[in-house]
Amino acid sequence: MSNCFDESETKLMHKSTRVLTVDDSASMRALLNHALTSNGFDVEQAEDGVAALEWLALNEVDVIITDINMPRLDGFGLIEQLRSGARHRDRPVLVLTTESSDEKKARARAMGATGWIVKPFDPEKLVSAIRRVTH
Amino acid sequence: MFQEPIIPAKPMMRITVLQGEVRVSAGPRVELSTVLGSCVATCLFDPISEVGGMNHFLLAEPPASRAGSKIDEHYGVYLMELLINEMLSHGARKDRLRAHLYGGANLRQGMAQIGTANAEFARKFLDTEKIPLAREDLGGTCARRVDFRPATGRVRCRTIENTLAPETTPAASPAPSTGDVELF
Repeated sequence: MSNCFDESETKLMHKSTRVLTVDDSASMRALLNHALTSNGFDVEQAEDGVAALEWLALNEVDVIITDINMPRLDGFGLIEQLRSGARHRDRPVLVLTTESSDEKKARARAMGATGWIVKPFDPEKLVSAIRRVTH
Repeated sequence: MFQEPIIPAKPMMRITVLQGEVRVSAGPRVELSTVLGSCVATCLFDPISEVGGMNHFLLAEPPASRAGSKIDEHYGVYLMELLINEMLSHGARKDRLRAHLYGGANLRQGMAQIGTANAEFARKFLDTEKIPLAREDLGGTCARRVDFRPATGRVRCRTIENTLAPETTPAASPAPSTGDVELF
């Protein structure tokens, strides 16, 4: 009898949480990519809501982190689209934004966002939030 | 012969941009002013919508326990994004933005070259975001005063006595709630 796991079991054991970050700033995407990959997450990135929806049409993800102010389709529009279909209705969506207004936070909450994080982000707090909403 | 009456020009409204602040305006009589030592100010201008804005930041050196590591860029990226978002909300477009960078001096010899590190961060940010850098006056050992008219994009930058530059320490965070997570 072998003590080795077969390949599928190994993949299962080491399956990391897959995160999609959506932000139009390449500098912010780089900071997020570094913070998340160095904590063991599998990171995919999109530059706005349209690119995010295109990627999500073909791929699975455990959690989405989105900015609000973006061209083409902003964070509110992205959340609205995700919640309007069955596939991503319960997917955790964290908003990560420079916006600090209570009105916009309430709007995101009403649209179905899972959480609200104000930039600049603290990598430890962000990682902790992802773990909380994915377990 | 009649003389034209002398009509006093309407005064400029000068707004001082302090460390950690962002100001954006399209006002034709607005002038954004700041005094810089090691800090860096970014001036952004959209010539089509005639909107301009300025930020003013100083990034933290790494703690002694992480000597040799890079400066913490989170706060700089945040202040840059805040400036860009304010510009967009005033009608500017990111693909039309032009930038000027000022400051980043190393005022005291023998001290860490924090001014240089701040200037390098600002240049790298603009390059990454594909925002053209139209003019820069960075580095050296002298403090600067920058006066920027956001509606026209005109900038005047001059060196001043180093004693006139405010003593600055890097802002750890712009607000007590920074990075806090609220789960709904």
